[in-house]
Amino acid sequence: MDWLYKISITCFAASYLVVFALEISRVFFDVALRKYVRVGFAAAGLVAHTVYLLWQGKLELDATGIWLSSWFGWCLAAAWVLAAAYLWISIRQAKSVIGLFLLPVIIVLIAVAVQFGPERSFSVGRAKTIWNMVHGSALLLGTAVVALGFVFGNVYLLQASRLKRKARSPKHFKLPSLEWLQKSCESSLIISTVLLAGGLVSGIALNLINQAHGNDGFARGTIAWSDPVVWSSGVLFFWLLASAIFNACYRPARHGRKVAYLVMASFLFLVLELGIVWWVGHAVSKSSDKTLTSVTFNDPESLLTEKRS
Amino acid sequence: MNLQVVGCSHHQSNVAIRERLSFTEQQVRPFLDLFYHQFPKSEAVLLSTCNRTEFYAAAENPELIPSKQEMIKFLAQQRGLSIADINADLFAHSNQKAIEHLFNVAASLDSMVVGEAQILSQVKKAYQIAIESNDSIPLTHQVFQSAIRVARRVSNETDIHANRVSVPSVAIGVLAKQIFERLDNKKILIVGAGEMAEETLKYVVTGGGKDIRITNRTESKARELAKQFNGRVCEWTNLKEELATADLVVSTTGATEPIVTSEMFDHVEKVREQKPILILDLAIPRDFAADIGERLNVYLYTLDDLQKECELNRESRESEYPKAAKIITQETNAFFADVRRRSSGSTIAQLRQQADKAKNVELDRLMNRIEGVSEKQKKEIEQSFNRLVNKILHPPLKSLRDDTSNGSGSLLDALKKLFQLGD
Repeated sequence: MDWLYKISITCFAASYLVVFALEISRVFFDVALRKYVRVGFAAAGLVAHTVYLLWQGKLELDATGIWLSSWFGWCLAAAWVLAAAYLWISIRQAKSVIGLFLLPVIIVLIAVAVQFGPERSFSVGRAKTIWNMVHGSALLLGTAVVALGFVFGNVYLLQASRLKRKARSPKHFKLPSLEWLQKSCESSLIISTVLLAGGLVSGIALNLINQAHGNDGFARGTIAWSDPVVWSSGVLFFWLLASAIFNACYRPARHGRKVAYLVMASFLFLVLELGIVWWVGHAVSKSSDKTLTSVTFNDPESLLTEKRS
Repeated sequence: MNLQVVGCSHHQSNVAIRERLSFTEQQVRPFLDLFYHQFPKSEAVLLSTCNRTEFYAAAENPELIPSKQEMIKFLAQQRGLSIADINADLFAHSNQKAIEHLFNVAASLDSMVVGEAQILSQVKKAYQIAIESNDSIPLTHQVFQSAIRVARRVSNETDIHANRVSVPSVAIGVLAKQIFERLDNKKILIVGAGEMAEETLKYVVTGGGKDIRITNRTESKARELAKQFNGRVCEWTNLKEELATADLVVSTTGATEPIVTSEMFDHVEKVREQKPILILDLAIPRDFAADIGERLNVYLYTLDDLQKECELNRESRESEYPKAAKIITQETNAFFADVRRRSSGSTIAQLRQQADKAKNVELDRLMNRIEGVSEKQKKEIEQSFNRLVNKILHPPLKSLRDDTSNGSGSLLDALKKLFQLGD
């Protein structure tokens, strides 16, 4: 199992960068073998990414009792979901260059993870309950799906504008059909609404439980209802809910660019929400918490190091 | 190998001549039967499409293959024409030129629309009929199997077939696919029942289209087309209602004014609730008012728009032509080098047999004359004779091999004449 230690972020980040470079090269020239190389690198990157996440998760599980107890792990997991989606799309829609739009999001998420670093872990008290698991997982998947929707929305608008202008599709620049993109946008809108609803409801449940426990320790994780994170999450959820209802009830919203605009606006809300979360330090250990200081992958022992500030 | 082709194609013959010389699939078999009756020791293939009629004959021996004039005469007789009627419109190639021509035809480099895929299946069909007419055609197998392989190589190694070049194929095979993921769940409305509508419907059906509605001012024509493509006829007066629910519209009427005006489409647009629609206006003058294309989720393409795409695709195919032509030249040379190698192989074997025969006769005579020769000495004498024959034959055989691999083949004929060898 020693080889597991040797897998680092560089391994899969480099794989995704190679895949991205191959995607860019598709616009300029055609090489028969490239498809296999591209899918091979993407699959290799995903395998390395999976192993890294599992190992990282195990280390965090040993230390905190839950998987991915940091923003670092959370961003990497979101990137993993998108990378898996990329691999699936590149097999199902082999001719389309959707990776050109999706891979930058994956690479940015990995970069953000590296920027956070494994040190900024969630507070141990908040992380241990099942409600927190549901809360974190639903928000993670919801974020990934909203990001996917954003990519589909962008590609839809690009393809629709090209067809409207009757512009010729460059020889090697094939985009998926409008119908496929529209369905993908709609699906991402509905799925992300359900997931973020799950995240919000579990967050509320978590807060109520923490309040009910009073001063027995869990209350340390209680968040005030006026906290910017709470109301911004609420706004995001209600936006998604309104969009999904608008999409379901108003027929023109189901067609064409309106659904693309909706998913793109959802993504902007999400970015805003994540910005607020990061800014107020939601779910990240406060100075009074027992936290992990240095969760480095090559130094599992450090996971057990505790700091009392 | 001796191969000869005579025929006509769109390059040098007009459509009237091509029609007079064309054969249906059912007529090819009797044509070949009659040919074998007259020329029993040669092989023949007849390729007849709307753009060409080509008559190939092959024989191992040059004396057995019909001459160019004999082939033209035979062709003319079968069509009830005189040689003078068609002579000026026919081309003729023999041997290497004939092979190169067949490779070009099969690879679609000689087609009216370079890169069209249909010709290869027509070549295969002609070859199949030739096999059914005569089960002993080794030269035809060699030539046509090579032609099919070369056509595949051109297709795999170049982009000559990559882009569609006809308006209906670009409209349905390229454009509709960029808007719709599938056609089997789309409502397809055909306005007009002319030739263009029929041609486009072929691609619609191939692309999976099932819910096909056809409307035309003359309902009987629409009915005919609907029967042919398993569609439904709609009343011309219901055009507005049909447009309101259609996903893909193909309009090909001969109307002199737009049949769908901007005002008429206002009503359609309200009912559609921004559902995307692809309108292929293939009529001249146009059937749809130009400003309809500016509306939300309406993708209106005219014949001009599609022809531009076809033209660009045609240019893209033609840019692949030199690459494909290079493959044809390589393959033709390789084919003939192989033919010569096989041919020289049999000549070399004959020459060796002839030399061995002479050697054995002389060796026997010598052994009968001398007495008291031990077995060991006999063996040495025999080996000495063998070395002598090999030393004499080595320089001419080496020169022959060099000559055939260089592609000339002139020495082979000279050697056959010098040593009086058969074919």
